[in-house]
Amino acid sequence: MVPILKHGKFLIASIVSALTDQDLIQLRDELANKIGQVRAHGVIIDVTAVDVLDSFATRTLRDIARTVKLRGAKIVLVGIQPDVAFAMVQLGLSLDEVDTALDLEEGFSHLRRGEERSRHAG
Amino acid sequence: MPAETRVAIDRETDIVTARQKGRELAAACGFASTDQTLIALAISELARNIVVYAQRGEIIVKSEFGERRGIEIVARDQGPGILNVALALQDGYSTAKSLGLGLPGARRVMDEFEIDSAPGRGTTVTVRKWVR
Amino acid sequence: MREMGLTAQNIERRRNFVGLDSDDSKRIVRIQELVEGHLEELTSVFFAFLGGIDEARPLLGNRDIIEKVRLLKKEHLSEMVRGEYGTDYIEQRVRLAVVYSNAGLASRVFLGAYHHMLRALGVLVMKHSEHDPMAGFESYMSLKKVAFLDIGIIVDVIVFERERVIRQQQEAIRELSTPVLQIRERLLLLPIIGVIDTQRARLITDSLLRSIRANRARVVVVDVTGVATIDSKVANHLLQTVTAARLMGATAIVTGISSEVAQSLVGLGIDLVKFNTVGDLQGGIEEAERLIGYRVIQTTDNGAAEHMKEA
Ligand SMILES: Nc1ncnc2c1ncn2[C@@H]1O[C@H](COP(=O)(O)OP(=O)(O)O)[C@@H](O)[C@H]1O
Ligand SMILES: [Mg+2]
Repeated sequence: MVPILKHGKFLIASIVSALTDQDLIQLRDELANKIGQVRAHGVIIDVTAVDVLDSFATRTLRDIARTVKLRGAKIVLVGIQPDVAFAMVQLGLSLDEVDTALDLEEGFSHLRRGEERSRHAG
Repeated sequence: MPAETRVAIDRETDIVTARQKGRELAAACGFASTDQTLIALAISELARNIVVYAQRGEIIVKSEFGERRGIEIVARDQGPGILNVALALQDGYSTAKSLGLGLPGARRVMDEFEIDSAPGRGTTVTVRKWVR
Repeated sequence: MREMGLTAQNIERRRNFVGLDSDDSKRIVRIQELVEGHLEELTSVFFAFLGGIDEARPLLGNRDIIEKVRLLKKEHLSEMVRGEYGTDYIEQRVRLAVVYSNAGLASRVFLGAYHHMLRALGVLVMKHSEHDPMAGFESYMSLKKVAFLDIGIIVDVIVFERERVIRQQQEAIRELSTPVLQIRERLLLLPIIGVIDTQRARLITDSLLRSIRANRARVVVVDVTGVATIDSKVANHLLQTVTAARLMGATAIVTGISSEVAQSLVGLGIDLVKFNTVGDLQGGIEEAERLIGYRVIQTTDNGAAEHMKEA
């Protein structure tokens, strides 16, 4: 189970260490619903506690990002640890489609910068 | 002291158990945290292949303290086996429309890689990594 | 002790190697009193040998060390004939060996001194066993097993300590060969110099990722001006480093790829778009500052750039 918290216009999902496939799939479906319900502008997925991201997790995170974007919200993945990032690139994983930030704080400022930019543009 | 752990794999949560056991053993063996993560990742990929393609099988993690210190992982199943092993070892090749990085990636992150598979006979993948 | 794997089990194995058992202990205890009476004399034999040897000067040159080592050696001799060779005994051996090792005593020098002391011990035992030479000889042979147990430990410690020094030096060299510099808040510079092979690429990536977290970096300028050759293999290594940095939320800018290298890489089918390249280091740093949100203001009087953070 991955709890989804609401913080202003943003949703935050913090993933626990022993991440199962089921958790990820459930997260994807719940996020898709909740974005519409609360009219979220952005989603932060926090993987600080995750000690391995394998090819399945990576692909599911990519799918989550696509889903969120289709629902009209921004998404940023935060907290990938040095060892985890290192192992991912050794395996050949890259997550090109997903924005990333160092941690929750950076994730927030990333989403806010995005909001400002679109305000200026609009 | 050499140690061995067996994890029966027949559902998706067993993948998590297998990689946790692998990491524990790797840590006890003296691997740095970067390498522990690589080992856990390789186990995760091999265990997932068992669940996805063979439904059930087992992962055996052994630490070795012979002339070289290291860890050996055997992922074994009696599933359908692999039709074309050379193809399965190529980056991006997948019969399940997934990323196709499990086998070639596990090979990259470990020091040694052996695969024995044939249609109808099941699949055994053996990988090893040495403490540097 | 733990680092060296000297567990109770390992100690037992070591005793089995030399064939030391409880019968030996009994035979040794028979000469305990005799040896206890000659501790000073036997210790002197050990140090007299060392005194005549240049290589032992680091150990004997220092008053404090000599006193300490003499005490430990006497303690050793009296423990040696007590008949107990478990964890406590081994711990004492390790402690003494660490002193030897820190003083730079080579194992061959130590072995010479030990040999002389052991011979003196043998002479002493035989002289006092005239009534029963066989028993004396047996006691001495049992004691020799203890001596070999000791030597195994001491030599292993000396080797282990030396390897530790080598490991530390290698660590230091690694650090030097992959320096990650913080040039401004949130901005790192990674100048890569020399040859990049798989092993080095891993070290570079590893140390960059740790620096990104430690400095909360948002942008990393990777300067490859000093890289000997950039072929497709090296380019792939660089791409991995850049990708890993991105996974941690940092944008990498690669500088220092000459136009010839760029052309040959494109010729090899390597997509430079993924790299976010900027010609030279100066340009790279400016681009990085722009990304982080610093504005570059040209000051009129000296032409130097001044940096201001955007509100
Ligand atoms: N244990 C297995 N049993 C049967 N087929 C397997 C097994 N492991 C891998 N394969 C085959 O090899 C292919 C490549 O595996 P892998 O590299 O892990 O990528 P992916 O799982 O994403 O397809 C799979 O698509 C599958 O056809
Ligand atoms: Mg797979």
